[in-house]
Amino acid sequence: MFSRDYRDIVGGLILVLLGLAFSGYAITQYDLGTLRRMGPGMFPAMLGAAMALLGVLQVIPALMRRGQMPEVRIFSPIFVLSGCAAFALTLTSFGLLPAVAALTIVSSLAELEIRPWRLGLLVVALCLIAWLVFGIGFGLNLPMYRWPF
Amino acid sequence: MDIFANLVLGLETALSYQNLTYCLLGVVLGMIFGVMPGIGTLASISMLFPITFYLEPTTALIMLAGVWYGSSYGGSIASILLNIPGTPSSAVTALDGYPMSRQGRGGVALFMTTVASFVGGCFGIIVLIAFAPVIAPHALRFGSAEYFALMLFGLVAASTISAGSMVKGLAMVVLGLMLGTVGADMYTGIPRFSFGFLELSQAVSIVALAMGIFGVSEVITMIRRIKPGDIDPKSVTMRAMIPTREDWRRSWAPMLRGSAIGTFFGTLPGTGPSIASFMSYAMEKRSAAEPERFGKGAIEGIMGPESANNAADQTAFIPTLTLGIPGSATMALMLGALMVHGIAPGPTLLTQQAPLFWGLVMSFWIGNLMLLVLNIPMIGLWVRMLMIPYNLLYPAILMFICIGTYTVNNSVFDIWLVVLFGFLGYVMRIFEWPAAPLLLGFVLGPMMESHFRRALLLSRGDFATFFESTIAATAMGLTLAVVLWGMWSSHRRRKSRILAQNVD
Repeated sequence: MFSRDYRDIVGGLILVLLGLAFSGYAITQYDLGTLRRMGPGMFPAMLGAAMALLGVLQVIPALMRRGQMPEVRIFSPIFVLSGCAAFALTLTSFGLLPAVAALTIVSSLAELEIRPWRLGLLVVALCLIAWLVFGIGFGLNLPMYRWPF
Repeated sequence: MDIFANLVLGLETALSYQNLTYCLLGVVLGMIFGVMPGIGTLASISMLFPITFYLEPTTALIMLAGVWYGSSYGGSIASILLNIPGTPSSAVTALDGYPMSRQGRGGVALFMTTVASFVGGCFGIIVLIAFAPVIAPHALRFGSAEYFALMLFGLVAASTISAGSMVKGLAMVVLGLMLGTVGADMYTGIPRFSFGFLELSQAVSIVALAMGIFGVSEVITMIRRIKPGDIDPKSVTMRAMIPTREDWRRSWAPMLRGSAIGTFFGTLPGTGPSIASFMSYAMEKRSAAEPERFGKGAIEGIMGPESANNAADQTAFIPTLTLGIPGSATMALMLGALMVHGIAPGPTLLTQQAPLFWGLVMSFWIGNLMLLVLNIPMIGLWVRMLMIPYNLLYPAILMFICIGTYTVNNSVFDIWLVVLFGFLGYVMRIFEWPAAPLLLGFVLGPMMESHFRRALLLSRGDFATFFESTIAATAMGLTLAVVLWGMWSSHRRRKSRILAQNVD
């Protein structure tokens, strides 16, 4: 329990910064034009301003109420997102099946315990599914495996 | 009346061999995805979205619609048997469905849910058939100012009514609009916010956005939380699915009331199925002779909301297809599918794409019938699927997400976008920022900007243009009313919270 709703205060400030940055970028990089004949920058600049305003509106009431600590996970997002990143990194140079294996191994670390046998079986099973569904089923235009060196 | 000819045309389209096959495929895949714990309707549709790119537009839409009601029914299975609702509307079903399955009446609950879905769906379809052709010709006369005002109303209503906090919902709509501006400016062709990436000079891929925000972030939150279910397989055998006469007697009135509520709320922009099921539940509880039975396995508590939910699902197609203004995130994805196939949604769709429209409408019936028929033999499979541990399931989900995103544009860049949006989706969950308004804003953004700029071009920069015609002025007035109502209700909530805190 917090004495103030820090979650909404921090979140609101993020919105304000995001809005201002977006508006600022649009104003400096693109032509604003006039209201009658708008350039590419006008609509984004308005959106950024609206976002900043909504951020302020989120912060003000949060200053006057108590809030709760949100549950923030660290390992789940890290391993899940790195799993997808591993897939993206290995796909073009090594082919689909190694990429699926990399995704499965990295993302299952999010369980925070390693069961080698179970993981091995899962990798084999998912590679098989990927090969059957996407290789044979959809005829995906992508090599199943490849050795780049 | 040529409505009859249209229905025949639709039936011909829907009954073609190809469309029938993909409708069945969509319903089955939708049910499979929907049953899996932690995958809601939106995640199922976005995961199966890429498959439909290889199909004809009509077939693609029929299949996606099948995925949609298949997965929303699958979600009810998970919430009745395990109390894991995938969507807000199935959370309502869990209120009485889960107690029923604890009492060994899970089979009855599952069967009656299908019946309620079917009745509600039929109700919605009839209204869709009757009203869509009436509304479309009016929409033809809409100018840019009217469209902008209607879209604004839709977005504001969607973020204010359904989400928890109005300010947060609106902020996410704006974030979605911002993401929608990425890509080439429609008037000058200048790439905006592409930061030197060639891939971003087109637009952000809607599949990558939906997969990241609904799929990946869902996986992140569900890991190490879902335990494999303890279900008594005996309660869901075929024999246990037969309802008693008492069940039927209690069910028909809630079904009709639910259908009516759902039909009405489905057509309003921004309200959709979840509001409809909550309203229906509240109504059944209020009008019941013994309200204390609710929450303890009252069959009325699942029949009303389920039919409301499905009726709303169908009538939500009215604003989406006739005006091109989706009322919910699911509808926004459907609209995205249409646009990927190069079909402009709007009043001309009914006349220019008549086979598509009527074929889709008739396929709803066939799909709902398939749902009813398939459910009974496949119930054992669903129960077994619910017993798969999540730690085996989620790597498979991630695999489908990654490969699916890649296949849309054959682009590794899109997978990186999924990583980015997955992170964003998780951050949004931490701050309790709702994701559905973001997707709505993203889909409507480019259209809204174009109408906004065109309207002001025509009026020579005079903002009064948004209040001149009756339709635009009404939409603007309603928008204002919704905002005021939202402010008032959040003020009231805060007051009661402060009172509660003082009592502590």
